[in-house]
Amino acid sequence: MIKLENVTKTYSHEVTALQNANFDIAKGEFVFLVGPSGSGKSTMLRLMNRQERPEKGAVWVAGRNINDMPDAKVPHLRRNIGNIFQDYKLLANKTVFENVAFALEVIGRPRHVIRQQVPAVLDLVGLGGKQERFPHQLSGGEQQRVSIARAFVNRPLILLADEPTGNLDPATGEGIMRLLDRINKTGTTVVMATHDQRIVNMMRKRVIQFDRGVIVRDQARGVYE
Amino acid sequence: MISRIRYTFREMWASLSRNLTLTVAAVITSAVSLLMVGGSFLIQRAFDNQLKLWTGGVEMIVYVKHGADESQVLLIETALLSQESVVAGATYCDEVCSLDVARTLFATDPSALEQLTPQIPSFFKVKPVDQGSSEVLRSLKAEFSALPNVTDVRTPDDAVATLSRLKDIIGIRILVVSVVLLFASALLIWNTIRTAMFARRREIEVMKLVGATNWFIRLPFMLEGLLQGVVGGGIASGVLLLANSNWTSGVSGFPVNSGLRAFVVTDGYPYWVCLGLIVLGALVGAIGSATAASRFLDV
Repeated sequence: MIKLENVTKTYSHEVTALQNANFDIAKGEFVFLVGPSGSGKSTMLRLMNRQERPEKGAVWVAGRNINDMPDAKVPHLRRNIGNIFQDYKLLANKTVFENVAFALEVIGRPRHVIRQQVPAVLDLVGLGGKQERFPHQLSGGEQQRVSIARAFVNRPLILLADEPTGNLDPATGEGIMRLLDRINKTGTTVVMATHDQRIVNMMRKRVIQFDRGVIVRDQARGVYE
Repeated sequence: MISRIRYTFREMWASLSRNLTLTVAAVITSAVSLLMVGGSFLIQRAFDNQLKLWTGGVEMIVYVKHGADESQVLLIETALLSQESVVAGATYCDEVCSLDVARTLFATDPSALEQLTPQIPSFFKVKPVDQGSSEVLRSLKAEFSALPNVTDVRTPDDAVATLSRLKDIIGIRILVVSVVLLFASALLIWNTIRTAMFARRREIEVMKLVGATNWFIRLPFMLEGLLQGVVGGGIASGVLLLANSNWTSGVSGFPVNSGLRAFVVTDGYPYWVCLGLIVLGALVGAIGSATAASRFLDV
């Protein structure tokens, strides 16, 4: 599903964020990207949805080298990739329903589809009764669930999560991980950047470890070291 | 498709109302600049009307008796053109054409027009070979006056020459100021759109990440700028029509010998200018917003 071949990414030709990275992620896998801050985890995620381009190497997503993809095709690529963030990135002036519907609306989904899919995905993330609330009326965990619902409402092939439990207490973080696990079991590939040791050790999924832009470990059913 | 159109207009309206102060400023600036553009066109037209007989280098008008037949007119034309070292050309304006001119010149004085109409003369507009031959042409005034069926020969007086110069001075300066102001209003619309995009940078970021196309994101902002320009053009048009109407009724009260009673625009021209202003406003708004929406999409 995702393949990196000799990927190197530098910022301003001085700071090397990633150096000669190689890995292959199969469809339906759940992968943790771990490492200290600045080790290249977030850059890796940004390369996977073409927010960034590498200086060297190739990034393959769903069989296409996305570095060579024309800019006009990038939106279509992103419709198959859901994104989850540490700070949720919810729109404060929109309700829970509107936040999730927004993701469908801006890609031109018709109203009847939105009315059908949004309540279904909100039920899936456990927010069925909170459709009309605004983000500030929700807890951090609930806001992250809205963010997950928005990322998943279009049934993407891949979910990219950047520190999704970073702002949450351990119990709430566990709830979010259970939700991501459920989504992964539907066949969606999940790639999650984190430095939450407890979560990684609890899930026992594949772990790719970064250190100063270099992959130092790639382990199936790994733990945080 | 319908949901996209609905979304575009909803977002455009939301953005307009969110940045109300900037929107109003952009609309007022474009209205003022477009008003000056429209004003300069009407002033030019009023000058043209006032100088209707003396435009395009015409230095002499030879009036032909009402009812003169074709051969009599031809005789006069031949006599005029025979002075080929002095006369570059003579354009004939028949009685129908002459009546049109009179309607413009006496637009604010219907009673004078009514008196003139039954015996309206036709005329020749005579152009000299060059500016240097104007004086020679004038010296032939007496000779042309003596031609059969010629009722009068006129040359421009000092007032006409002054008006002609005034037209050139005022017209060009107003147009320059208008162009500068139009540029300012395009910049202001550009800045309004930039601010609107910055205020909604999180929304834009989310839209890009969930796969909205750049055009889908840009369109509401572009429409916003377009609307600002069109509203500015609409306001400028309304004010221009009102000012023109006030001026026309004001001028009709001037003394007959003031020489300014034809300094009005009474035909359909102001409506064409207004249409032009709205189109120009739309163009300025579209250019300002399109460049901003393209430049600042990566917020």
